[in-house]
Amino acid sequence: MIILLKNGKVYDPAHGKDGVKQDIYIRDGRIIDKPAQTDHIDETIDLNGKVVMAGAIDMHSHIGGGKVNIARMMLPEYQETLQYHEPEAHICGPHCTHDATPSTINTGMRYIEMGYTAAFEPAILAINARQAHLEMGDTPMIDKGGYAMLGNDDYFLRLLANKADQKTINDYVAWTLNATQTIGIKVVNPGGINAFKFNQRRLDLDENNTHYAVSPRQILQSLSRAVHDLGVTKPLHVHCNNLGAAGNFQTTLDTMGASDGVPMHLTHIQFHSYDTEGDKKFSSAAAKIAEGINNNKHITVDVGQILFGQTVTASGDTMMQHLNANHANPKKSVIMDIECDGGCGVVPFKYRDENYVNALQWAIGLEIFLSVEDPWRIFLTTDHPNGAPFTSYPHLIRLLMDKSFRDDAFGQLNLDAQAMSNLTAIDREYSLYEIATMTRAGAAKLIGLRDRGHLGVGAAADITVYTEQADKEAMFAKPNYVFKDGQLVVKDGDIVKVVWGKTHTAKPDYDQNVEKGLNEYFDQYHTIQLDNFKISDDEIAADGRNQVVSHTK
Amino acid sequence: MQTESITNTTCPACGMLCDDVNPTKTTCAKSAAFFAQANVAKPSIAGQTATLEQAVKKAAELLKQSTQPVIGGLSTDLTGFRAAYQLAGKTKATLAHMNAVTTWRNTKVLQATGWQTTTMTEVKNRADVIVCIGTDIVKHNTRFFERIVWPKKALFVDNEDRDIVYLGGEGLDTSHGTSPKGKPATVLPCDPALLPEVTAALHALVAGKQLTVDSIAGIAVKDLADVAERLLAAKYATLIWVAKDCDFPHAELTIQQITQTVVELNKTTRAGALAMGGSDGDTTVNYAHTWLSGLAIHEEVLPDHDALLWVNSFSPDKALPTTDAPLIVIGNPNIALEKEVDVFIPIATPGLDAPGTMIRVDSNVILPLKQIRETDLPTLGEVLAQVEAAL
Repeated sequence: MIILLKNGKVYDPAHGKDGVKQDIYIRDGRIIDKPAQTDHIDETIDLNGKVVMAGAIDMHSHIGGGKVNIARMMLPEYQETLQYHEPEAHICGPHCTHDATPSTINTGMRYIEMGYTAAFEPAILAINARQAHLEMGDTPMIDKGGYAMLGNDDYFLRLLANKADQKTINDYVAWTLNATQTIGIKVVNPGGINAFKFNQRRLDLDENNTHYAVSPRQILQSLSRAVHDLGVTKPLHVHCNNLGAAGNFQTTLDTMGASDGVPMHLTHIQFHSYDTEGDKKFSSAAAKIAEGINNNKHITVDVGQILFGQTVTASGDTMMQHLNANHANPKKSVIMDIECDGGCGVVPFKYRDENYVNALQWAIGLEIFLSVEDPWRIFLTTDHPNGAPFTSYPHLIRLLMDKSFRDDAFGQLNLDAQAMSNLTAIDREYSLYEIATMTRAGAAKLIGLRDRGHLGVGAAADITVYTEQADKEAMFAKPNYVFKDGQLVVKDGDIVKVVWGKTHTAKPDYDQNVEKGLNEYFDQYHTIQLDNFKISDDEIAADGRNQVVSHTK
Repeated sequence: MQTESITNTTCPACGMLCDDVNPTKTTCAKSAAFFAQANVAKPSIAGQTATLEQAVKKAAELLKQSTQPVIGGLSTDLTGFRAAYQLAGKTKATLAHMNAVTTWRNTKVLQATGWQTTTMTEVKNRADVIVCIGTDIVKHNTRFFERIVWPKKALFVDNEDRDIVYLGGEGLDTSHGTSPKGKPATVLPCDPALLPEVTAALHALVAGKQLTVDSIAGIAVKDLADVAERLLAAKYATLIWVAKDCDFPHAELTIQQITQTVVELNKTTRAGALAMGGSDGDTTVNYAHTWLSGLAIHEEVLPDHDALLWVNSFSPDKALPTTDAPLIVIGNPNIALEKEVDVFIPIATPGLDAPGTMIRVDSNVILPLKQIRETDLPTLGEVLAQVEAAL
């Protein structure tokens, strides 16, 4: 079966194609060269005037695992706003609340309707990885994967405190990637979640965890080095210390230098770009942060843009979420210490444009987007659902591509916040090519998905087709066609076929002796057997719908 | 596959899901009874032995005739629940769990104020003051003290430095609260129905309030104040309850007093709340229902219905539900059919006759269940798929 997508305008940054008119042939789920004349073309779709991109990849979205499910359970009121009888109910604006805590089924459906064909859960607690995979397994339509959290687990901190050599650390990191079926490693508030269990309330980059006498900087050095040494493509995913705190930009800038040039990805950087200027002691440090990113070529970031409306913040960062719980809206929250492995904090939040801090957070995110020069090193996220539900991406894309729309929105903000932001002085408008870089080619390159995020021969045929229009929000909200692994799954905004996607992992080799220490630790201190901590391929694929794909170099 | 050769299997007999169990050597009576179950039974229709095909056909007929079916009981594991969820979608059935009443005592607190909780490995390694409120825990989770409170080794606390308090409840087995070297627990009993007052008083004392009475529910206020002081001085206090033991009206308000006491403690020191108990896959079913649908499981054990498909894999001794509607029972081969049911289909029990997956009562930890012996019985998933095909 060969499908021909004819005459589309192709935006494929991986191959430098910027709106090139080109035909694409699909066979057996892959993009193929132009077939021989004798080969039969089964279906031809004329895409004259349409924009063709690879399927989008969300490299940071909380789609599965314990935190999200606690949020669902805690916030039944979010679901009540969903008007099931309205046919357009699934097209969500930035103010929808039900998409802050979508069911797994809705998660997959809403992503594919927007032309996203993969999403990565960025905060898998290793002990909870099985649940994350179960939830992702119940998420249809898209490919999935996750980053396992290390750096606050007592096993790792004991290694570091006992001055274990880098090889030992590397083996433990590789073992964790294998055991949890993940594709990357994340560290959240390095050492801080653990320090909070010893009643420390804040932790700076060079401050020691009191019990282990280990600093966040040491943790970052050790883990970034391990990920790099193991040949894992996805750089260490870093949620910096001091999230959300006024003045935290210095920690963020210092963190950029903590890995001695080894690649690191600083996530939801917006939440880490705050200065203390002005009467309210809260101001934008976006210019300094953007300069830091521009100058540090080993650093990549995603933004974690906030958009106004009701949402919920779900984070592994118990230390900072415990502080944020005072701002919960509605007034409830969950803070949890988990299994000497990590923690979680779930705090509902309502971002309001008339609120000074929220308005400035909105502006700071956009200032960073527009001031970072290289679209290959910055990624479009709202840290779903923490800044806003992922369903608001089309709105965010319009803010980036349309200065007058952005300036109009800015004019609605709290006036004091307007006075503290230079957003309107920035004229930049993102191009379709840059959007395709951020949401496709760059994301695939960052994570190490060699056959996704581009439209070259051999690539998986994850393809999204849009109608170019002036209103970029409308354009990106409702593609004309979405193909997943070569199958037409969305047509004119409607799902026409249900598929289940794959699970992407990295499985670097490690010295089997690593299990000696782990076995002893589990026997003495844990409450489950080491063997039950490990997740097999079969567990993920046994239902017949899923498949584990390993991207080890 | 021989039971004798299994040394580390997961036991689904309570919410603790011990995964170090040797079925022939376990010291836990619940676990021993679970692994000793027979797995011989035949399907029946109205009390008459039938083939599986006939029973499935009859079940499908009854569901087809129904306009408001309920798939209830749901004593099963994750694999079984996924199948039930799918059948519910096909039949427009409401899903409900047999433990809904106790589950919702906790869920109401989560939805009203949230909480600050901890998990068993944290308690094992960190907890220096443990208060068991209205419960001895061991009635529900036999090995809790053996595995969690008195381990051979812990990371940050020595057993003899642990301080155990039983607050409220009566007729409790408090013997497990004595340390290995004989340090006794503090026991402050009271009528379980008076727990609301006792927990409110403890919360007030932890928050620094003065009480104007000398005793609450028969417990001297000075003893309560002493507990409050020990909690405030603790490095990692843990307050534990079992929703099933909070069997009085508006128990959620009492549980909320407990969780808000923990919130108060966390202003100056560290503490965690821990809901123990759990049975019949209640945690598993509630969590999976939540991620599949976006909402927690139904609040009622038996919502209105005109046909009832009752699933019970783990509690064969539990009485069948009372209903005038057609009743289909799918579950444990040892279920006592004390009355005639329309359809009975015995199935393989997860963790014994079939593999499976379960979520532990403290959430976050998800464990595989093993099949440890051969059986001819079908799994719940296989039966429900056949029912679906016959609709």
